[in-house]
Amino acid sequence: MAAATAGGVDSALQAAEVLESILSGSVGPEGRQVLCTKPTGDVLFSRDGGRLLEALNVEHPVARMIVTCVSMNQNVTGDGAKTFIILLCDLLRGLKAITEKERGSFGGSIPSQERHWKNCCQWKYISQAILTFQAHVLDYIMAQYLRKHFLTIFSFSGEEKKVCRSSLESLLDAYFCGRVGRNNQKFISQLTCDYFYKCLQHEDGKDEMIDLVDEYFLELCTAVTGLPVSSSKIISGFVIHRDFSVYCPADGDMRIIIVTEPIQPALSTSGSELLVNSEAQFQASHIWITEKTKTIMKDLQSKGIKLLLSSVKQQDAVIYYAKQNGISVVEYIPSEEISLLCRIIALSPFIPSWATSECHISDAALVTFCRPILLNSRRYVHLGLLSTHSFIPHCLVLCGPVQGLTDQHIRAFHGAFKVLRQVFKVLYLSYKVQRSNQNETSNSINSKENKQSHHLIEVYRALFEKQHLDSVLMSKDNPSRTQSHLRGTPDLVLSSIESENDIPSTTLTQTQKIKEDFESLLCSYPNKIGIVDTKEPLVAINCSCNGDFLTDVPDDHLSVIEQTCKMSKTAIDVTSKEVFQDTSQSYCTSFIQAGSVLPVGGHFEILLHYYLLDYSRQCQKPEVSMISSLIANALLSLPKTLYKAKRGNKSFCHVYLRTMHALQAKQGVAGSPAGLESVACKYQLLTSVLHCLTKLLTFDLVISINKQPQKTGDEESEEDE
Amino acid sequence: MSRIKAKTPSLCTCELLTKEIISKSLSGLRQIVASCYGPSGRLKQLHNGVGGSICTTSSSSLLINNLSVTHPILKILTTSVQNHVSHFSDCGLFTAIFCCHLIENFQRLNLSSATVVKVSNHLLSLCTDYLNSETCGCRISVDFSNMKTLRCLVQSIVTSKPACLLSKKEADHISTLILKAFLLTIPEKAKDFAILGKTLIIPLKGERVMDSTVLPGILIEMPEVQLMTFSIKKLPSNALKVALFCITMSGEISDPGEGTLVVTYGVSLENAVVDQLLNLGNQLISDHVDIVVCQKVIHPVLKQYLNQHHIITIDRVGISLMEPLCEMTGTQPIGSLNLISSTSYGYVKDLCSTNFGSKPYFHLIPNDSTVCTLLLCNRNETAWNELKLACQTAQHVLKLTIREPLALLGGGCTETHLASFLSHKVISVPECILKANDCTQPEYKIVANAFCNALQAVACSLEHDKGKLLADRKYGHFWSVQPDFPPDVKWQDLVSKCGCGLHSNQEELNWCLLQSIHFAPQNYPLQQSTNSLKDHLTLDCFTAKLHGLQVAVETASLILDLSCVIEDEN
Repeated sequence: MAAATAGGVDSALQAAEVLESILSGSVGPEGRQVLCTKPTGDVLFSRDGGRLLEALNVEHPVARMIVTCVSMNQNVTGDGAKTFIILLCDLLRGLKAITEKERGSFGGSIPSQERHWKNCCQWKYISQAILTFQAHVLDYIMAQYLRKHFLTIFSFSGEEKKVCRSSLESLLDAYFCGRVGRNNQKFISQLTCDYFYKCLQHEDGKDEMIDLVDEYFLELCTAVTGLPVSSSKIISGFVIHRDFSVYCPADGDMRIIIVTEPIQPALSTSGSELLVNSEAQFQASHIWITEKTKTIMKDLQSKGIKLLLSSVKQQDAVIYYAKQNGISVVEYIPSEEISLLCRIIALSPFIPSWATSECHISDAALVTFCRPILLNSRRYVHLGLLSTHSFIPHCLVLCGPVQGLTDQHIRAFHGAFKVLRQVFKVLYLSYKVQRSNQNETSNSINSKENKQSHHLIEVYRALFEKQHLDSVLMSKDNPSRTQSHLRGTPDLVLSSIESENDIPSTTLTQTQKIKEDFESLLCSYPNKIGIVDTKEPLVAINCSCNGDFLTDVPDDHLSVIEQTCKMSKTAIDVTSKEVFQDTSQSYCTSFIQAGSVLPVGGHFEILLHYYLLDYSRQCQKPEVSMISSLIANALLSLPKTLYKAKRGNKSFCHVYLRTMHALQAKQGVAGSPAGLESVACKYQLLTSVLHCLTKLLTFDLVISINKQPQKTGDEESEEDE
Repeated sequence: MSRIKAKTPSLCTCELLTKEIISKSLSGLRQIVASCYGPSGRLKQLHNGVGGSICTTSSSSLLINNLSVTHPILKILTTSVQNHVSHFSDCGLFTAIFCCHLIENFQRLNLSSATVVKVSNHLLSLCTDYLNSETCGCRISVDFSNMKTLRCLVQSIVTSKPACLLSKKEADHISTLILKAFLLTIPEKAKDFAILGKTLIIPLKGERVMDSTVLPGILIEMPEVQLMTFSIKKLPSNALKVALFCITMSGEISDPGEGTLVVTYGVSLENAVVDQLLNLGNQLISDHVDIVVCQKVIHPVLKQYLNQHHIITIDRVGISLMEPLCEMTGTQPIGSLNLISSTSYGYVKDLCSTNFGSKPYFHLIPNDSTVCTLLLCNRNETAWNELKLACQTAQHVLKLTIREPLALLGGGCTETHLASFLSHKVISVPECILKANDCTQPEYKIVANAFCNALQAVACSLEHDKGKLLADRKYGHFWSVQPDFPPDVKWQDLVSKCGCGLHSNQEELNWCLLQSIHFAPQNYPLQQSTNSLKDHLTLDCFTAKLHGLQVAVETASLILDLSCVIEDEN
């Protein structure tokens, strides 16, 4: 019999709280370092939540599931693992409190086994409600209310949009505050900011540059141990982490080639036989090989090649003739460095041909210099590469007394670029804003939108059907319970019944058509869809979406928007049907604009808390209101943790009350200049936490098995791999 | 074959530094390193329980490399010292002692680690700024036209390694040799950037230290067998032509590639290769090569053939000698057995055979080169190792000093001077600094006090014979007094010279005891010492000490900032 552990809130909360207690020491600017050791003797300093959770090697299945969710989120956003756990803990605590209250009202009359099953049904229902809540209410609040508080990282000078350096600095400052040791935060943050600007060719290429750095950060960083952190520096050009086999000093620009196979021909190639008939023949073949090598190297020299970069070992003869011809050689270059080099200088490897007397060099790139550089008591090759259109090659030399620290800094640097990528990306929300102008591109968005909303209806239908079923199930179990449940959610059940009849077949067909249009358009403009800003005719839309809280949208439109919102909440409504059938109306996706930031220190959380609370007060549906206030209260856990150690004016209560007053008075909330954080990252974090929560709530029993589970797409099997 | 095994959960420990076991082992480590410090430091004997060689040392690199530290926190400390030593060779013990004292002092403070880390970081920046400034009172600039300062620097390093077991005279001799060898590596024709040559150290164990010597060029040990065949024939030209091979000449059949070789019956590949080698020999003879040097093995047939034609063969020189050989002779290492270009040969002025100790050596004498050999003698194995380490350290320090021509006062004076400087500096801390570090004035002072105490404690570690330790109020230098002094004598009559030797008891300097419990704040600024160079100064390498200071504070901050340790036991 396999051992089984109960799922549900209790066990999840237990697991999450243990993780929280471990991570709590390193949260926020006051957080401390954690040392991870391995039996191999490696040590790593870390304040990176994701890394710490992985280092723990937790056994508990639920905890493992949480860890997986955290690392998935962190792979995308590069940050926020600690916040993730804190939020999740508080959500689970909130849920537990709610259930305990309910259970209290029933008394202890139900047998425990039965209660467990009932709880599970309830969890499942709640988890689905949370999902739909996230997709609609949360996105709606983000798009409608929170937007007006957003600051931007860009500075506008006339038509031009530029990344504001001081904003970027405070964004990175805030990020590094949570990631590296206290005495190095400022320095590393400044270094990363400098690195960003040094590598940046022009504003438009920044996404490409960030992608490149993100992909090849290991090749671009060199760790030097034994020096103080303050000796870290940025060097222009590229460092190959190998020494010269032959170094011939040369001045000025030089041509280089890359080879990935030995230049010297082998006596025999694979699959062939060399028949040796006489000793003289054997000698002659040796001489031929040497001669060939000599000619190739001479030929390279005559073509002005000064540097040969090889990913494999070259024979002694190649080295010898290279030296004779004044060609520097670097061997054994790691394949990642070769691929990065090829990418930066757009060079393809040279293939020597032994048949012809002259070899054809298809590609040779220019470097401005090539010299040895001494790092970490080792000699490396320092290349002065010419910049490509988006990336000016620079390398980062990170120093520290021990390797554990330099590793931490390299990882934090990597994470910083992930965060930057999120900051500069437009994040689409599933909530849509209505607009009226029509053109081809807008149609595409419209169709996409309709597709989404259709999908949304489906989701809701499924949800309500399930709920209906659940209530039927419950009525079999316990009639009194069903009644109370029905009393709790009268409209919802009603609407769910209605919804099944009300889905118009016309919508389906229409959506199908639009979807086809959209797809064809997607093919013709593969890249353009996302970049709404650049399209001239769409300026108006942007105004209505991104401007100061929809100032350009007339009042009557606003009411329609609100109706639409209501539609998204309750999903099936008579108006919604009308809206869908009305082809003159169209929608565009709301989105979090690229570069949106908010001051750090729980600002995002307090703001969202305020609006969610507000929403839950106005909301008619008790369960939606319940979820809303649950999330709202859980959001406060982060600022509570951050301000825990603060006293007096800076304590949590003060900050909270001040912000609340300001919001009620409709004043702008004064941001502390300490730092900024990306809204997109924060929002993604929140949604991942909610997804994780729903995942945790959907299973009731964890069964440990002895063999590998079959890959059936089952949740637990994914966790166990 | 690896077996897939379920990972065991990691172990998570919190609140480490308060644990008794860690503070105990930390103070244990501190006692070990502190007792080794300085010229009168105690030696440590390292041996393992199952036999093997015994190593007597007082140097940080040997000591720390051989200590098996188990706790991760101590491991960080030792690794960071090791990394520092690998970069600078010097000041390893200083870094270790200072770091231990810092951790222990800060641990006692009962302040939040955030405050301690921030303030100590600020104090460090005060120190580095001061040391880098012109007004710094504890550094002197090195004058290269006068060997005195460099000699003091080398002497301080050699005498600070008591495990070399040198007498005063021997230490002087060794210091002179090190300096001489260093001067030989400086190229005469300096371009805009000069590349220093290389000094090779040849061991002669069991000889008298005074027999150590420096020779220009390279010494290569001669195998016994060659003694018979080696006929010294004075060659007519005043230079000898050298060919240097980096590939094997043993007659191996080279790599046939990925395919297969089919050899007809009666064909001997070995013969083919030997024939090839003899062809090569013919070419060398026709090119009038006098000496053939090979990194690897030369086939005996070729060797004999070349010897018959009065060509001297030296083989198995090893990879480490290749670079100095190339540099000295100007040859290009030949990587091919045929088609050798005549441009790849080099020249030496002369070749002679000499005996050192009981061993015969080839001595390649260069025309004009920056390569030299230091023959280092000492009585026994372990003392020789320590002496070699001292020589390498001194060479490294000299290189560092050329890059930055500054030296710090040794003998504990820099530490006490810095401590006095800081204690004067923190009398009034500007409000903005307090705000930036998020602390109050008393908190700042407490941390600064602990920092200064740690600095002074390093200076105090130099004294191992229970002597009294003093600092003067004028220059902030370090003085020590014999332990048994009569009670009613003035300090001035007891002290003779300060730690570094810059000041003597001639001046009225207002001494005070260093080990007093209360740290006396310095009320007036320190005076800069008049730069009258004495003959015997104790000096430290500027770059190494400055970095050691920074690394010590950074490591201490790292360790103090730890909240817990996660130990992966898989």
